[in-house]
Amino acid sequence: MILKISHLVILSLLVICTCPKMHGQTIKMFGKGEVKGVTVTASSNASKGINTLKSTGYLPNEKAASRFLSQATMGTKWNEINTVSQQGIESWLNQQLNMGQSFNTQNYVQNLHQYIVDSLNAAGSAEPRTLANTFVDDWIFDVAWFQGNMVSPDRLRWRVSLALSQIFVTSRISAFDDNPYVLASYYDMLNKNAFSNYRSLIDSITYHPAMAVYLTYMNNHATDTTDGRQIYPDENYAREIMQLFSIGLFELNTNGTEKKNTTGQPIATYNNNDIAGLAKVFTGLSWHNSRYLGESNINNWSYTHRLKFFPMDSSDKYRRWWVSNPRIVYGHEPGPKTFLGNTIPARPVAQGELDIKDALDILFNHPNVGPFISRRLIQHLVTSNPSPEYIERVATVFNNNGNGVRGDLKAVIKAILLDQEARDCCQQEANISYGHLREPILRYMNLINGLNLSNQNGIYRNVMVDTYNRLDQRPLSSPSVFNFYQPDYIPDGPLQEAGKVGPEFQTLNSLSFTNYLNGLHRWLIQNTPVEYWGLFTNETRKADQAPVFDISNEYVLAKDNRLTEFLDKYNLILAQGRISTESINVIKNTLLQMPMQYSSEGVPDSTLADRRLRMGLFLIMTTPDYLIKR
Amino acid sequence: MKRRDFFKYASCGAMGTTTLLSSLTSLGAINGLTKASSAGEDYKALVCVLLAGGIDSFNVLIPTGTGAGGDNGFADYQALRTSLSLTSSLPLSVNQCTGHRGFNCSYNSFGIHPQMAGIQQLFNSGKLSFISNIGTLVEPIANASEYNNSGKKLPLGIYSHSDQIMQWQTSVPQSRNALGMGGRLADILNGNNTDNGISMNISLAGKNVFQRGQHITEYSISNNVDPNNVGLSSFPTWWPNQGILQDLRETAIDSLISKNYANLLQKTYSATAKESMASFEIFKDALKRMPVINTPFQNNSLSRDLQAIAKVMSVRQQLGAKRQIFFVTYGGWDMHDGLLTGLNSRLPVVSQALKSFYDATVELGIADKVTSFTISDFARTLTSNGNGSDHGWGGNNLVMGGAVNGGKLFGAYPKMDTSSSNPINISFRGNFIPAVSTDEMYAELALWYGVSPSDLCYVLPNIGNFYSYSPANKPIGFMNYASVNNINHPLDCISY
Repeated sequence: MILKISHLVILSLLVICTCPKMHGQTIKMFGKGEVKGVTVTASSNASKGINTLKSTGYLPNEKAASRFLSQATMGTKWNEINTVSQQGIESWLNQQLNMGQSFNTQNYVQNLHQYIVDSLNAAGSAEPRTLANTFVDDWIFDVAWFQGNMVSPDRLRWRVSLALSQIFVTSRISAFDDNPYVLASYYDMLNKNAFSNYRSLIDSITYHPAMAVYLTYMNNHATDTTDGRQIYPDENYAREIMQLFSIGLFELNTNGTEKKNTTGQPIATYNNNDIAGLAKVFTGLSWHNSRYLGESNINNWSYTHRLKFFPMDSSDKYRRWWVSNPRIVYGHEPGPKTFLGNTIPARPVAQGELDIKDALDILFNHPNVGPFISRRLIQHLVTSNPSPEYIERVATVFNNNGNGVRGDLKAVIKAILLDQEARDCCQQEANISYGHLREPILRYMNLINGLNLSNQNGIYRNVMVDTYNRLDQRPLSSPSVFNFYQPDYIPDGPLQEAGKVGPEFQTLNSLSFTNYLNGLHRWLIQNTPVEYWGLFTNETRKADQAPVFDISNEYVLAKDNRLTEFLDKYNLILAQGRISTESINVIKNTLLQMPMQYSSEGVPDSTLADRRLRMGLFLIMTTPDYLIKR
Repeated sequence: MKRRDFFKYASCGAMGTTTLLSSLTSLGAINGLTKASSAGEDYKALVCVLLAGGIDSFNVLIPTGTGAGGDNGFADYQALRTSLSLTSSLPLSVNQCTGHRGFNCSYNSFGIHPQMAGIQQLFNSGKLSFISNIGTLVEPIANASEYNNSGKKLPLGIYSHSDQIMQWQTSVPQSRNALGMGGRLADILNGNNTDNGISMNISLAGKNVFQRGQHITEYSISNNVDPNNVGLSSFPTWWPNQGILQDLRETAIDSLISKNYANLLQKTYSATAKESMASFEIFKDALKRMPVINTPFQNNSLSRDLQAIAKVMSVRQQLGAKRQIFFVTYGGWDMHDGLLTGLNSRLPVVSQALKSFYDATVELGIADKVTSFTISDFARTLTSNGNGSDHGWGGNNLVMGGAVNGGKLFGAYPKMDTSSSNPINISFRGNFIPAVSTDEMYAELALWYGVSPSDLCYVLPNIGNFYSYSPANKPIGFMNYASVNNINHPLDCISY
């Protein structure tokens, strides 16, 4: 089918991942690209051709579908490529954005916990077991997280929440290290808010005990300098919510570039006085079931409820119950609070929670938030070095979704993934700093999805401890609030010379390089993709919860003359077809040198076929064409 | 094995087809099998221990004077730190706290945190010193009014973790895009190593700014230092042709990462991949000759990391290394909350790990060739936020090793006073302008390490603001080394 859209020149909207060569003409074609089965030619200036086609329901081809899924999910799956190429990108996206949150991590953790309790009781535990007296480790959360990824149809949500978990960082490398409930509760909150509004996301984060403990404003106290005390509000959250969660260090234009003062210097968004001012706001918050400001958490579940506000500090009444006139002081800081050129007016401390609301509103309405958050999300989902125009297009949607709503994350995600800079892969052949290094945890999940790890009973017990040791990455395990890698990290070499960033490269070194290859060896060659542990001592091993990669359906492709088919298929699934013919041939020639025997009917020996194909997959996963997602 | 035994060893064919002549050139490498270093061995190593998160170093080193000679340090300390105060400390036999560049040392008696017995022992036996009130500076800042009102250049993002942790590693606080101090040092001295197959800069903490130079990138290793733990996993032994398949795999990977990629990210990835592949064999072979080190280490990450460093040092000659710079981090110091209990659990780890490491260098016969030092984002507010402290600036750190002018307190311990009468205090919370710049500490380490004085401005672009070289004048004085009189031609200085 050939559509001729006359008087159009499509300059930057082509989505043919094998870009056609121009022949001195201002005519380009697309057809093997974003739009399935359609070739368009255009001959003069306009840019709406692709949009015309998109909105009239033309469909992406398989490479474009796979490429889109590599940005929108934790890993492209074979059957999903077909779905998207039949359904269309925007339609699939809309469906995902309107899909409810399907999986509750905290419930899953609690069910596993209950199973442990019940099993121990059934086995005749000397001491009757309850949830409260039975310890569970943080890796129960990882089991739940992996399970959620394996069974949830709302795949886009899980991809976005992984990004959010790396922007709004809390980590088990902290005071709540081995408590799986806090991790689950925080992750559920991110999953829930992934498609909500940034304002409600930042509210949920601020009121989550995980963040309050991680950034130490749990039980944060008003200034107290009487009776020999020298106590001031904790400044930790005030600093990081501005630096990392909302506005950043410098004033930004809508396109994400830094504003400059008259001497050409960037303009700091805040100074230490702003920090001290905002620190006063985040005072008076404690656990939902605290009796007083300053009380410790009761148990693991204290971490799963929204914080409670205490205007006054009456701790002395409880701590020194025998004293007749306990010391009652302000818990929440009284008086006006000034930061970022705004002053929250003095109000009775009993209404101090409104200070928090006002402060979050001030941050939310700061013009930096749009470009700041948009750039981070683009970096996670699409490319490390988005153009200012791309950032501006997304930030503009953040500022107003078209219906006057600011901070609509659904609209922002949609703007990011449907933007021409995300969709058009032809342009990216020319843009040599396009794409990003796939981060370690996603390489693992790419493999799990790409090889369609599945289990008939639908249960996956994967503690991911070995995976973490190899990848140095798993959800909610960042070494600090600055994430596993920072958005402005510049690796040595060509990116640095070009003035570009490569955030994920902060995770790459001689050791992590080996660890990844040896991880592939374990998952693929040794066929141990999940790490099964007993949930309690003496649990009977449930081998049916530890699935392995079954590639027996592909053995027929291990024949010398069908290897290309095999490699093309997994090039498409795992690498979105980006591995060059030259590299595919290197892999093919390697596999051809591996021993192979055929039955009299010409069927490949299954053991040898298995080894060949696994070696092939291993090598696909080691190519720079795979590792750099473009 | 003694040197003369080598010839016996070589002659019984163990050297394979290697000619005697080429073996002789690697005599130094073979010699490394002996544990004790020969007295004249030209080897020096720096070990940078990053205590990530901003350690509250005013609870590591505290004033203990109780009125004698007008030194009321302990009372001042308690009045300011209130609920954060230590009630006891281990006494240090400090025989020097004279101040620095016009900043006075406010007290005479000091102690260290009671959980740091190992450090106390090293200090009192002259193997360790402290530098007090050191921090990031572009140029000297004399007092609060200079801080507030002058045109003096200040570090970017004072109090911000990401900036300060970076600036301690770059020593270029006016830039967010500077190379690391250890990287620039290696740029200059890399030629000293006879074999550069393994970088001069070895990291136990992955990518880091400290070790990043113009021509140098770090070699990252795991703390499980074992020849069988380097490189790619072997295919299962029951696979026929196991070895051939491994060769095939390696050849294929090599070919895939050696392509000339146009995309800059792909180029960057393949560069690291190629370097890593090339270094496996060198490192593995060297580790096969590792001697047993008997000094016990505890089982925690810092101890394991430092033990790994000692192991790598034990094969320095196999690696052809005359100069090495190691980098290790131990985090968890951002104690906005739970400060006292946090320090009680983490400081013993630091103390014991450093003590074990020092002892291991004694066992290896290189104690006077290895200098270790701690760095951290910043010190913390002197006042409390209830149960912890917030971000500060100048603080205290330590240097350790046989070449350290030990048992002394360098720098200028500040007055525990947040009133306006304390000229270096700049916040109601108690934050101090550093008396000593990171440049001055690094300059002294660099001169000891063997950098020509004229190259200091490459290693430390701001050093001219604090120090100019003369043989009689050390930047701080905490290292023992012979001063150099003949200065070679300087490299181009870097400016930011």
